[in-house]
Amino acid sequence: MAKTNAMICPQCKIETNYHAEKIDYMAALVEPDAADPAFGGILEEIHTCPRCGGIETRRATAD
Amino acid sequence: MQTSRPLFIPVILGTPRQGRRSEHVARFVLEELTKREEIETALIDIRTLSFTTTDAGEAIKDAQFSATMMRADALVLVVPEYNHGYPGLLKHVLDTNLKEYIHKAVGICGVSAGGLGSTRVIENLLPVMRELGLVTIFWDGNFPSVQNLFDASGKLLDQAYIKRIDKFIKELVWMAKVLRYGRENVPREK
Repeated sequence: MAKTNAMICPQCKIETNYHAEKIDYMAALVEPDAADPAFGGILEEIHTCPRCGGIETRRATAD
Repeated sequence: MQTSRPLFIPVILGTPRQGRRSEHVARFVLEELTKREEIETALIDIRTLSFTTTDAGEAIKDAQFSATMMRADALVLVVPEYNHGYPGLLKHVLDTNLKEYIHKAVGICGVSAGGLGSTRVIENLLPVMRELGLVTIFWDGNFPSVQNLFDASGKLLDQAYIKRIDKFIKELVWMAKVLRYGRENVPREK
């Protein structure tokens, strides 16, 4: 599910740490075609900046 | 584990009810957190937040509350037990965020007028914390018969609670440090 390209913290301009995924069930109600059938929702990647602690997210894609 | 930024651990006062004794507990915990140099804290009183009740969840995010949750390394929830459950408004408030909570520590202080209360509200909150992505500590703050623990001005009458909340805070700080390190440095398995 993971994207291979790193996310960059918009504030610190350094690579974030990708440490979690979370299923967004509500988003799947809006975009049912985007839901992963294995999980019943849309998977979101959770990233945190090691410098400022800022949180960034993006939609995970199937690999 | 060294960290350049102080831990930010806000206290959420989880009831808007008039005459609430939970406010004494929240202010007591806030005061104990403030004594520690490595911690920054703030009191978030859900009575002062203005989330609409015509919608729910992330659709009604409040920018300031979300920014505070984003910055937090851990949370303390001070929650009264109402009819064996937690106040609905607290759930309404917490549900407005999600990514902001993930892999962050949470400690719960349960408050009740009855002698057996406060443990039930904590137990009821645990599955909610888990689904929000928060990591619960195994120390709780239990404040049963709260009317006997503080005077009308909020002064603590039972000094044993200072020692008890110290254990709670120490565990919360340990978990907050570990989880911050993990969020910022330990990658998820690919």
